[in-house]
Amino acid sequence: MNNASFLAVAPETVLLLGALLVIIAGVMLERSRAEWGFIAVLSFVVAMVLSVLQWRAVDTLVEEGSDLLFFSARNVPVLRIPMVVMDHYSAFAGFVIFTVGLLGLGAVWGLVKRVKTRGVELVTLILLAFAGLHMMTMSANIIMLFLGLETASIAFYVIAGFTREREESDEAAVKYFLLGSLASAIFVYGAAMLFAATGSTSFYGAGGMKDFFASTIIGEPGVLLLGIGFVIVGLGFKVSAAPFHQWAPDVYQGAPTGAVGFMAAGVKVAGFAALGRILIGALPSQIDNWAPILAILAGISMIIGTALAAVQGDVKRILAYSGVAHAGYIMMAFLAGEAGIGAMWFYVSMYALTLVGTFAIASVVSRNTPGRSDLDGWSGLSRRSPELAWAMLILLLAMGGIPFTAGFISKLTVFTAAADAGYLWLVILALLTTVVGLYVYFRVAAKMFLGSAEEDAPSLEPSTVLRLVLAVVVVGTIVFGVNPWPLLDLVREALPL
Amino acid sequence: MELSLLIALPLLGALVVGLLPKERTELVFPVALGVSILPLGVSLWIMVNFVSGESVFQFTEDYVLSETFGIGWRLGVDGISLWMIVLTGLLMTLSIAASKSITDRTKQYMVAMLVLEAGLLGVFLSLDLLLFFAFFEIVLVPMYLLIGIWGGENRAYASIKFVLFTAFGSIFLLVGIIVLAITAGDAVGAPTSFDFRTMLSLDLSSTTQLWLFLAFGVAFAIKVPIFPFHTWLPDAHTEAPTAGSVILAGVLLKMGAYGFLRFNLTFFPGASVDLAEIIGIIGVIGIIYGAAVAIVQPDVKRLVAYSSVSHMGFVMLGIFALTSQGLSGGVFVMISHGLTTGALFLLIGMIYERRHTRLIADYGGLAKVMPLYAGVFLFMAFASVGLPGLSGFVGEFAVLLGSYLTLPVLAIIAGSGVILAAVYLLWAYERMFTGPVTNPKNEGLSDLDFREIAILVPLIVIIIGIGIYPKPILDRIEPSVEIILDRIEATTDYEAPEFGRIDEIVDPRDVVIESAGHDDDTGEHGDEEGSE
Repeated sequence: MNNASFLAVAPETVLLLGALLVIIAGVMLERSRAEWGFIAVLSFVVAMVLSVLQWRAVDTLVEEGSDLLFFSARNVPVLRIPMVVMDHYSAFAGFVIFTVGLLGLGAVWGLVKRVKTRGVELVTLILLAFAGLHMMTMSANIIMLFLGLETASIAFYVIAGFTREREESDEAAVKYFLLGSLASAIFVYGAAMLFAATGSTSFYGAGGMKDFFASTIIGEPGVLLLGIGFVIVGLGFKVSAAPFHQWAPDVYQGAPTGAVGFMAAGVKVAGFAALGRILIGALPSQIDNWAPILAILAGISMIIGTALAAVQGDVKRILAYSGVAHAGYIMMAFLAGEAGIGAMWFYVSMYALTLVGTFAIASVVSRNTPGRSDLDGWSGLSRRSPELAWAMLILLLAMGGIPFTAGFISKLTVFTAAADAGYLWLVILALLTTVVGLYVYFRVAAKMFLGSAEEDAPSLEPSTVLRLVLAVVVVGTIVFGVNPWPLLDLVREALPL
Repeated sequence: MELSLLIALPLLGALVVGLLPKERTELVFPVALGVSILPLGVSLWIMVNFVSGESVFQFTEDYVLSETFGIGWRLGVDGISLWMIVLTGLLMTLSIAASKSITDRTKQYMVAMLVLEAGLLGVFLSLDLLLFFAFFEIVLVPMYLLIGIWGGENRAYASIKFVLFTAFGSIFLLVGIIVLAITAGDAVGAPTSFDFRTMLSLDLSSTTQLWLFLAFGVAFAIKVPIFPFHTWLPDAHTEAPTAGSVILAGVLLKMGAYGFLRFNLTFFPGASVDLAEIIGIIGVIGIIYGAAVAIVQPDVKRLVAYSSVSHMGFVMLGIFALTSQGLSGGVFVMISHGLTTGALFLLIGMIYERRHTRLIADYGGLAKVMPLYAGVFLFMAFASVGLPGLSGFVGEFAVLLGSYLTLPVLAIIAGSGVILAAVYLLWAYERMFTGPVTNPKNEGLSDLDFREIAILVPLIVIIIGIGIYPKPILDRIEPSVEIILDRIEATTDYEAPEFGRIDEIVDPRDVVIESAGHDDDTGEHGDEEGSE
């Protein structure tokens, strides 16, 4: 082990230590919540800093021409299987995931305060979940990736059912758990088939998948294709791509509103990062095999997502279905292979921001109706709270892909990548669904600005923490919409090995 | 810097208005009016300092935003966009001045208006396709809010219809821009390039040109709007608040026609020539259809809205006549229509504030009660119809002349549109203003007050001024449309008929056309004319 090896796992270590500390603090300082919050925030901030350091360290390692990018039990010759990798890809993923975690913590803080001492569990689970999410993105081995996936998923199942006194929350947790487990099983099955086809569970290193395809041409790729297919299906479940999205609306609706934002955002970031790691990191040579599958899934997701979002009467369900559509758009980036990674990163990180923001707003607006967020409840929001209404409007415009918000640049880069890869039909389909999407988002905007509030509807005051979260999200959405170029240049470097 | 300033001023103004203290609502109107004068001033300054007779873009700015994606803050103004920005600045100030009656959420209203102005100015100034698209799209949002929040009874429907129609068109525009940017990127060795000038140098095959022309064309056709994409227009114009209607008719529609001129004709000359006749026919259908439907409207605001369809038909016919006169005339109609229709919407807004009805049948004999108002209305009606000596005449005459050279049958049919315009406007005038006062509610109406007169006088002066002496405007338009024509002639077999270009008494080309054939040069205007 050396410094770089420590650095590779440092963010996870920090988060896990943070989780332990929170539990201890929870036991020892039963009444004080500020301490847990402080520890959790500090853990996320340190993890973010470590991600930046990781990025820098990779720069130096690459300059030195060192092969220390894979970390394994190097001194034992038998076990020279890379398990963890530190590259720009994982470093960038880390930064995004921990930012989402930090913002998510802010968005859910109201709930933490409300559930009193149980809040300590919630904070611990969040820290564990985000450690798992980042593990998914830095794995150099598909088993390792699965471990990360499960760590995050199990924590999220519990968070979804956290307000267990409500029936919807229970239902959400059970649904999420059952379907999520099925997805995990499918993923493992796919992993097994990939192992059968390539003789390795590792992506990199001597004898790893990438190495295998560099030296071998598979005559009968049946098992390989099934493996790829199952892996895509498994991760497709997690990122709620159609037709594997059925769990999403119920879970989004039932789970505690403040928590849905970071759950959905975190899983999307990590899920797509994992997909990119496997498809573009390990199987770039098979692009002709997996790209059409993704293209079709992307198309179905966009159509189903937007069409069903247009008919929902509940804002949380609208956001769930629109998330399905967004999963489709993000998938388009992969069609361009490595050239699309930058587009994927930009899209998924900006979308993650908007998701956290919209659900944070939803948690304020439908505070009195837990588990639901009827569109009518949003009526006249621009009078009840102009700040929230305008923040929501900007986030909705970003989701709709209106210029001068980050959402426009996201769509532009993804569509350009797909068009460049020759999928013009998919781009046109995507744009058509974007218009329907605009209808969806303007429908919510119309309720907020054109609708009239009930006479006795109280004006809404978001808490200071929530205000802070929203300010970060909204400012980020606009700044990266007006001047996305430095970030776009950065994400072009964030490639998997 | 001037152009960036021009776009930044309304945005800064919006910020100032947005930050006004909550309780000082009485400040919102004067402050908004004050800041809206600044961009008008800058646009007038640009007009004064614009070098006449030049076809190149002036006041250009070129600041690369992203090397990799070939995106830049590229702005410039030529003889066409010059008038569009002046028109935008003028109408925006006037319509903010006319928004005194907005009392609900005034601050948000003014912010929306100023953001809208920035977007519109950006559209006309962008020399980068991505920038253009961004401005083109962002205009939707404030307009949506203006119609949706401060509009008439049916505002929710009208506003979402407006958004969906335009956004639908924008899809194809974006696809077209992406494809063009990738092609341009290949040419300069980058993933993409959105630079207007890089794209200008591309040599596209005729099939590509056709598809891209259609992709760009659908977006602009919806915006213009060309028949049969016009159905959003009557709803949006009618339901919008007065200022919204003025900006919609006066400036927003011009974005479409401007797009055709700036992008379709220049990027896809081959396809433009091939499709000129079809678009000319559609334009003429628009002229007649718009006028015919306007005649039967019971709602005077809707009547004026449909007259826009008719006028914009003239613009399209003029542009796709592909003659110097037609193109200049088209641009002139754009200016004139912005002034006259804008004025008519302002007038309708003024009477609506007094009577809260737009139905022609509710009025009658107003000339006795409000003689000044009636006089101005009649003046604007004449200007809109195209009475010689007023602005409407210059443009429509040039369009008819220009289209007669290449599309004579269409020109003759279009001529009847002028007569129909006289029918719908003067008949509406007759029903509203002449005869006895039939409805007792109309008896006590007050005539125009000082603020209203101050809003209308500039328009009247300009309409008379450019109607009598259009030369300063045409002098600036012509070089810019000539270079578009030259490019078309250089890249296709098309030869624009030579007929009395105003600045050339004897055209040297008449003599050399046979021997020189068409020029393979990429249309560098000016030099070759001299050398030949």
